[in-house]
Amino acid sequence: MSRLNETDIQGFVLRGYNLPVARYLFLHFEDAERARSLIGRLLHHVTTGQRWDGGKPQSTVNIAFTQRGLAALNLPDATLLSFPVEFQQGMKKRAGILGDSGLNSPERWDELWRGDLVHAWLGINAQSAAILDSRYAEMLELMRETGGATVLASQDAAAVVIDGKSTTREHFGFTDGFGNPDYLGVDRSSQPGQGKRMPNGSWAPLATGELLLGYADEAGELPVAPVPHILASNGTFMVYRKLHQNVATFRSYLDEYAALYGGGKEKLAAKFIGRWRDGTPLDLSPDNPDSSIAQDPNRSTNFTYGADAEGTRCPVGAHIRRVHPRDAFGFSGRLINRRRITRRGLPYGPFVAEGGPASDSEERGVIFMALNASISRQFEFVQQQWIEYGNDAHQGNDKDILMGNHGGRGKFVVQGDASRANPPLICSKLPNFVELRGGDYFFLPSITALGMIAMNLVDPR
Amino acid sequence: MPNKNGSVYGLTILSPIIDDEKVTPSHDLQIRKYLATLPTGELSPFALAPATHLARLVVMDDVIYVGMPACEEHLKSKYLVFESNCDGELDDYLAGLAASVPEQLDAIWSHCVGYPGAANRQAFIDYMKACQLETTFYFAAVNDKSVPETLRALQTQHAVSEFIADHQGMEPARLQAEFMQFVAELKLAPVPRPGSMGEPRYIKTGGRNE
Amino acid sequence: MSNINGKVYAMNAITPMKPWKTWILRGFFFLLGHIKPLQQDLINLSFIEFARWVVLPRRQFPFLGNGQAEEELQYDYLLFFSNFNGTWNQYIDAFSAVLSKGLNLVWRWSEKFPGSVPVTSFKEYIARVQFDTDYYYTAYPHAAANDLKSAHVVQASFDKLAASAQNYTPEQFEDAYLRFVLEVQTHLGETGEAPIVF
Repeated sequence: MSRLNETDIQGFVLRGYNLPVARYLFLHFEDAERARSLIGRLLHHVTTGQRWDGGKPQSTVNIAFTQRGLAALNLPDATLLSFPVEFQQGMKKRAGILGDSGLNSPERWDELWRGDLVHAWLGINAQSAAILDSRYAEMLELMRETGGATVLASQDAAAVVIDGKSTTREHFGFTDGFGNPDYLGVDRSSQPGQGKRMPNGSWAPLATGELLLGYADEAGELPVAPVPHILASNGTFMVYRKLHQNVATFRSYLDEYAALYGGGKEKLAAKFIGRWRDGTPLDLSPDNPDSSIAQDPNRSTNFTYGADAEGTRCPVGAHIRRVHPRDAFGFSGRLINRRRITRRGLPYGPFVAEGGPASDSEERGVIFMALNASISRQFEFVQQQWIEYGNDAHQGNDKDILMGNHGGRGKFVVQGDASRANPPLICSKLPNFVELRGGDYFFLPSITALGMIAMNLVDPR
Repeated sequence: MPNKNGSVYGLTILSPIIDDEKVTPSHDLQIRKYLATLPTGELSPFALAPATHLARLVVMDDVIYVGMPACEEHLKSKYLVFESNCDGELDDYLAGLAASVPEQLDAIWSHCVGYPGAANRQAFIDYMKACQLETTFYFAAVNDKSVPETLRALQTQHAVSEFIADHQGMEPARLQAEFMQFVAELKLAPVPRPGSMGEPRYIKTGGRNE
Repeated sequence: MSNINGKVYAMNAITPMKPWKTWILRGFFFLLGHIKPLQQDLINLSFIEFARWVVLPRRQFPFLGNGQAEEELQYDYLLFFSNFNGTWNQYIDAFSAVLSKGLNLVWRWSEKFPGSVPVTSFKEYIARVQFDTDYYYTAYPHAAANDLKSAHVVQASFDKLAASAQNYTPEQFEDAYLRFVLEVQTHLGETGEAPIVF
């Protein structure tokens, strides 16, 4: 494997910043030349993947483009047409494939996403709200000076604060952010359970090309990429989805079925997800949450489902088992290694503690951002085949309980055993706990590629 | 015998299509046109006749040239490929087709060389066998269940799932009575029709939500 | 014309082989039919309902006289017919990822076969030698191979309980019913529409 040039890769790709507040700006370019001059100015601000050994920055800036954005920047047609079909189409046109129908259909999205004006995503992450505001003001000033872009809308997101402390909880009360894979050359040390399963039972990082264009992937080849290669290399694709959470519905549904369930409410909640709310994996601790496991990186992700084929510890349809099946499909996990995605993003909206007055209509959810070398092979496959369909998990048409577009007709089976504390249960008439409010597909270029775009130097060959 | 896997038969037939320059459109195009509008659901000839799990009909125009340094060569006939995965013995299966859907068979195969028509049962069977290819390796995921058994099982699976969901937490005596009622209703329910997208929900499974 | 009906996809492929190589391939298939572990991989992949390979020697194309011209070919042909669940890409990706050795043994005797790894050249080859299905029927378009297997498990377990339910006391029935639910609990997936192919 060649060594990564971290100064050429946007930092957002290589690491989760773990900064508590963020603002995502959605830009529209009116004039290609002015937009290019804005990108040229932004180049000095874009956070790269260089290590933060000298201390974490106060804030970060990253940028990505839709297909329409690249077209508005006047990239050559031969280059634009060499991008993968799903990127050229954008997420809205893929609604049928993604199962984004009914409550999740594009006509119900936020106004920003119903239109076709979004050309770029500008992501700012920061240590505090004040720092975020000042970096935001700086970005607005750049746009004003160059006339390069207008801000169509912005989306604030922030880590959920509980008792004054930033947490990694999401609005349903679960600890989030365990699932990102390790990649060769990207991560300094790999965490057991985060890469690919090897035949001898150990874990190894995934091939770099599952995340970054220009490197070998798990199929032993370079991922499909646009031309010229220098435009693509060290870049990746990003899926942006604003996922609204129906917190009131989730809580009342859980209460309703907990009344039928002998294992208790918290255990049922854990069965939905595959982890207790504190993050303890059910497969490692089926009876109780255990913070010593949840907080130990050598254990919190280090498990498989091979010994739990019946799902009596972690249900076969539990969320984390559906979206990251590990060894559940046999062949020591080889069927899933090219279906992994890296998640970024943060919750948005005010957190309401358990027992507090939550309603579904309040703006509250999670900004889901997924990075992958191929949107169709990775994100779209997971969304279609593992979230909206269950065949690979031997669950027929049953959808993922948490993310599925159930429309009131879904079903989730909690497998159990003959003991009183772990009975089987069928949860039926599932509502949508999560609803899609919009989003799109973006290309997140390397620093070199940003420079080429800024200087209008992209040759198709 | 590689044509069989358990109780499932893998039938492969290549029927040469008549090559007649005087006919327009040509016979292969006429087959394609007919197949394009032939129903694939409950009214499919393979649904009306017994014993077909899955089947396909394909006009094979030619062999495929894979490029240098391989040689380019071409077939002299076009062939109609009939691939079927069916229950039972071949003679019985072919006889069942000829008895149930002779018009559709004739409409398709009358474009093929030497086809005798489905009315003459034995000639039809002999013709199909003359066009049959021996399968070299045959794989079947489920090889011990007939079409009606499979359709029945899919119906049962759905009904059982609903029954369990609707009877959680019920006290045992009532559960037992409702289960036996459910068994009786399911026994009376007709086997779903082959080729359909599942059944209308005519079995009441009772329970707390109904 | 469609290769798709409900949850199944019909793939047809034809590849030329030099006749002397056909014998090696026949030998391999003979072994495959007799060696369980290789077959087991196909079963474990779990998205193939039926599949077959047919070796068609160059002089054995059906010939019925009646004015049909006799074929004059240099190559033998390998025909492949598969009935699989899921997308074309998923199917070939999975084959390439977990069955590459077996597939190479099947197709390496065919002209210009690039090997099943890396997957892109393999896909290009399959796409080139595939021909499309005019008419495709399945008795159960709403069910995948996994659904069929699950349904049979549920049926067997249900029949067992149904046969003895009336003989039980309510307490005995409660136990038997729990055992029944535990037997079927991983086999209750809904059947229905397949996702849109992409």
